[in-house]
Amino acid sequence: MEAPLLEAKNVTKIFGGGLFNKNVTVALENYSMQLHESPPSITAVVGESGSGKTTLARLLLGLITPTSGVVAYRGLSLATMGGSDWRRFRREVQVIMQDPYEVYNPFYKVDHVLTTPIDHFGLAKSKAEGRAMIEQALEAVGLRVEETLGRYPHQLSGGQRQRVMVARALLLRPKVILADEPVSMIDASLRATILGSLSRLNREFGISILYITHDLTTAYQIGENIVVLYRGAVAELGEVGQVVKEPQHPYTRLLVGSIPLPDPNHSWSAEAASSGVKITRGVGCKFADRCPSAMERCAREEPPLFQTGDHRAAACFLYEGAPTLKPEHMANVFVSGTIAAA
Amino acid sequence: MATASVDQRVRSDVLQVSDLRVYYHTPRGAVKAVDGVSFAIQRGERFGLAGESGSGKSSMALALMRMIKAPGQIEGGEVWLDGRNVLSLSESEMRKVRLAEMAMVAQGSMNSLNPVMRIGDQIADAYRDHDVVLTKREADERIAALLGRVGLRPDVVRLFPHELSGGMKQRVCIAIAISLTPKVIIADEPTSALDVVVQRQVIETLRRVQQEIGASVILVGHDMGLMAQSVDRLGVMYAGRLAEVAPVKEIFSNPTHPYTKLLIASLPSLDQKGEFKGIAGLPPVLIDPPPGCRFWPRCPYAIDRCQVDVPELREVRPNVMAACHLL
Repeated sequence: MEAPLLEAKNVTKIFGGGLFNKNVTVALENYSMQLHESPPSITAVVGESGSGKTTLARLLLGLITPTSGVVAYRGLSLATMGGSDWRRFRREVQVIMQDPYEVYNPFYKVDHVLTTPIDHFGLAKSKAEGRAMIEQALEAVGLRVEETLGRYPHQLSGGQRQRVMVARALLLRPKVILADEPVSMIDASLRATILGSLSRLNREFGISILYITHDLTTAYQIGENIVVLYRGAVAELGEVGQVVKEPQHPYTRLLVGSIPLPDPNHSWSAEAASSGVKITRGVGCKFADRCPSAMERCAREEPPLFQTGDHRAAACFLYEGAPTLKPEHMANVFVSGTIAAA
Repeated sequence: MATASVDQRVRSDVLQVSDLRVYYHTPRGAVKAVDGVSFAIQRGERFGLAGESGSGKSSMALALMRMIKAPGQIEGGEVWLDGRNVLSLSESEMRKVRLAEMAMVAQGSMNSLNPVMRIGDQIADAYRDHDVVLTKREADERIAALLGRVGLRPDVVRLFPHELSGGMKQRVCIAIAISLTPKVIIADEPTSALDVVVQRQVIETLRRVQQEIGASVILVGHDMGLMAQSVDRLGVMYAGRLAEVAPVKEIFSNPTHPYTKLLIASLPSLDQKGEFKGIAGLPPVLIDPPPGCRFWPRCPYAIDRCQVDVPELREVRPNVMAACHLL
């Protein structure tokens, strides 16, 4: 079998803990995932602040190195990869960041972020060809060329700026796009448009997307599979519809119950307070102190992932009895190809 | 009928805003952030003010507190708080109104706590500033009671802001806001920096204390889901004006104004998957807004008249007000 396009193998990232600092933060713990070139997929990674979702994105981009474990691109470890492979990596793996303000240099027109990749990777033979590519990419994300090119970043709205970033990613015909909270700073009426653009990139251009977010509703809207992170560990994963509609892990249940649904007749469901179970850092289930179903052993033992169905797994002793799923086999429960077929 | 409705208003409305206008004066012209907004809020009511960025909702909140800073200016209108027009008060009178009668929990107000002052002292400051003379013991008791009301442990009194989580800091801000039992609490995106689980706890705390002290709440925000879960009546702003004001159930089940309709349809839900219905186009630039209705360039139902006449906000069904020529 072909090596996955992008893979994380038992990746752990620990911050702090130098010579004089005993406080360590385990930002991501024993995380594994695979993104294959085909079929193109959309995987949502959901977590609150401190769940390790941005650490994951930075690890996958090679911006930080894992404390242990390997991040690999086409079977090559990022830690030992050579210059020409990095060049290919940077073309095939694109990122869309949360803040569509900070990525622009205010002194340059927005054209700059679009022409730079073309020049850098020699994508076009002539200026006219480059221009045609830019126009095509802008149109693919629903921007009007005459309203976009020739302007400075401050003359565009946040939604327009973010769509220019999607267009930039598209220019390079990447294999995978990491989108880290791409719509959290965008207004509701434009949010749908950007999610629509991302979903179209997946369908029409065969680009796999890793959609990192704190927002379960948009994850549900766009995703095929979902991974729910809590304090650096996977709480639950599987097919997005099953996980969001019938969450199994108590944390996912709390998260789903906390979504303010835009429906006044469907009120916020009852909520868990603290469980009274005291947890020690580094031992046991990370959610035990807030978990309404916590048992005594949850404070002592860390639950492995239990595969509770063909396309789902949860890291909770409530599902003990179900076969355990090794972290490196997490991708086995994901459904694949449903979006391409739909 | 007119007299009857006026009488009723005098009795039950705690806040009446009429034709409020807030402009920001820039070298390129005046940005009309709030341009002729009128609404009224009843005693004890939870009123939501929803809108996208640039719709004028935060300027609106600041204007009610008279906290608009240069180059912004309140250009006109009236804000009647229990029979007094706060826009005509002197600055020293206004200082007494703030917090005591109308309090604000601002966006990211948890970052407005003084980092080198203990929580208890910061709450005591509120009393001192409003000339409430208390003995040490009375003050301690009141502060402990306030913290209890917002669900914080009594020992928070002695802590510094950095020792608290974001949600706890936001509760401290709510405690300060209710310290002098105001008539109106204005909460401007009070939970936008918090995680969903904490957001819900803070919103529920706000709701509980508001009911206990009988205050009205104006919740300002962009999250329609949060509005659906926490207010009684909702005003939807677009480009500096109110497009629609209606009971929250009515807005979500039967939106009236074309903008509200499209906005509600664009919300991601857990019922339907994979359909993305954004609103085409962009909000207008408020230096030079389009004549007539400000939504017509994006409105699928626009008629010729929309480009010329400004639609007035008027009652189109019982309790439902909308500003649209088509209705």
